Amino acid sequence: MDSATVEKIIKEIGNIAPAHEGEHVGRVVAVGDGVVAIDGLSKAVMSEVLLFEEGKGKKLKGTMSAGGEAQGELFGLILNLEEDGVRATILGDTARVSEGMTVKSTGRILSVPASAEMLGRVVNALGEHIDGKGPFKKTTLMPIERQAAGVIDRKSVTVPLATGTKAIDAMIPIGRGQRELIIGDRGTGKTTVAIDAIINQKYEPEATRPICIYVAIGQKESKTARIAQQLREQGAMDYTIIVDAPASAPAALQYLAPFSGVAIGEYFMDKGRDVLIIYDDLSKQATAYRQLSLLLRRPPGREAYPGDVFYLHSRLLERACRLSEEKGGGSITALPIIETQEGDVSGYIPTNVISITDGQMFLVTDLFNKGIKPAIDVGISVSRVGSAAQTKAMKSVAGGIKLELAQFRELEAFMQFASDLDKATADRIESGRRMVEVLKQKNGAPIPLERQVAALYAAGHAFFLDVPVNKVTEVEGQLMEFLDGQYSKTLAAIKKTGQLSEDAKKELNKAMEEFRLAHAELFSVGK
Amino acid sequence: METAYAQALWKMVEGGMTPAKAVHALRDTLKAHGREQLMPRIARAFARIAQREAKRTDVVLTVAREKDERRAHKEIKDALSRMGVETKALKTQVDDTLIGGWRLEGKETLVDASYKNQLIELYNRVTA
Repeated sequence: MDSATVEKIIKEIGNIAPAHEGEHVGRVVAVGDGVVAIDGLSKAVMSEVLLFEEGKGKKLKGTMSAGGEAQGELFGLILNLEEDGVRATILGDTARVSEGMTVKSTGRILSVPASAEMLGRVVNALGEHIDGKGPFKKTTLMPIERQAAGVIDRKSVTVPLATGTKAIDAMIPIGRGQRELIIGDRGTGKTTVAIDAIINQKYEPEATRPICIYVAIGQKESKTARIAQQLREQGAMDYTIIVDAPASAPAALQYLAPFSGVAIGEYFMDKGRDVLIIYDDLSKQATAYRQLSLLLRRPPGREAYPGDVFYLHSRLLERACRLSEEKGGGSITALPIIETQEGDVSGYIPTNVISITDGQMFLVTDLFNKGIKPAIDVGISVSRVGSAAQTKAMKSVAGGIKLELAQFRELEAFMQFASDLDKATADRIESGRRMVEVLKQKNGAPIPLERQVAALYAAGHAFFLDVPVNKVTEVEGQLMEFLDGQYSKTLAAIKKTGQLSEDAKKELNKAMEEFRLAHAELFSVGK
Repeated sequence: METAYAQALWKMVEGGMTPAKAVHALRDTLKAHGREQLMPRIARAFARIAQREAKRTDVVLTVAREKDERRAHKEIKDALSRMGVETKALKTQVDDTLIGGWRLEGKETLVDASYKNQLIELYNRVTA
């Protein structure tokens, strides 16, 4: 034992005074399925943390190995205040609780530790490290439940949050402080879109780069490990925190994980930083909450969800906002994910979250199966506040894309029945096909703003019209390489100013012409 | 439902009504609602409440060794007065896992002055 530890022990022994202060306690009368009924605790308050006394009747050594040393203290969270006692959920292993056990009131509302040390780390729903990299040295406790910022404390969403996905940044732009739902069936690329948004933040200057928080709720641990690995490989883990409540975790932790994530986010927001938080996914959180509520004997409502399931999500998502300059100017941008069944968006939870958020992007199985990735159905996807935050450069090139794609989809359907098409219609269809190709993107490869602008500018100026449809992605890649090499200053100017000036447009036109001349063999259609 | 009736009965008696009067009032109410059959179940629920309340009001002093009892009685005077309990009403038990000191529990209050508790707290503080 080193001398510092000895000193610490001696100091602590000196501090010991026989405790004659009474503690407020109750007694476990029933336990099962992660929920415990406690007799007593008449002065307890809602959402108060309880401490289960595991050591009663056990030898000192046994107490330490059962509690402190091996698994930590066992806590509970009050969720029901009843006439003759309380009902609480166990934030840990239910097997450690037995009938007759004494439960101590702690007098504090559930909080999670938060600090900059958490960046690059994986924590559980209680903010404890689970990546084996050791505990955090200095943390601030942030309450899990906190009133969202009021109207006066907020500011309009005006700063863009680039996701690196062309289809989103062009047509469904997201602003810092916005809540944009990602919704779709399983296996349509919802998580990929969200993870790409995290990866894309590496292109942001460090001073304005958002802190990213990925909250995994009810996911397979292998999936979360794979995501952590991907983020690490891409260098995105340095500014990311993963809050993990896997499928194997108790329902209580799955219910709490999003709140823990946003509490950690608020720590950074209060310091004036921007935060991007992804809840993957809230359907699973709602399911965990339903399980808890039924065990707590709360009356079931539609689809057996409790009556306050809307409030569960609204109070969570309301905490995403952009604060006024007086409050530091920080923001939390939320990208909640909802999984639908067979494309049914009229379910209880999907409609709730659609109505709460500031827009939604629908990912569709049909598009995914056709190889259109990201499989975003732009016709029914919207961003209600993001357009105010879109950069001028993007606005100038993305203006007509949504309409063009909508017309293309309509004509494409019509084309199946018509054999002869007039030239204008045929051109529109050809242009639409190429636009769809331009909007395709590889998984895990977000594109910086200036390159997106250049690609969409080229597409909007009929650059790809002479390129065979199956070669569009390849030609686009080559054009980008050419621009990177020969016109890096133009791209840098777009990135710096966020605008597509007349000079920049001239430069891009010139670049496109030079590229066309140098690679005439790629533009073979119609020749 | 029987628990709710039993709780109401308990509260009426606690509120100062005589037991006979309270039971009569309950019976009249049940009769008016055609629920007289609930009476035996209400009686069982009432017994459960009584048992629970008795447990709640029990105050137990736990000491590590029998010979510690006298010293503990001296030390718990303040705590007992705060809890509004007389020394005579105390139940005493021995638990050698406490190592030393005493532990007073009852009426939703726990005063733990055992050596074991202090050692655990010390351990938690040092290892935190």
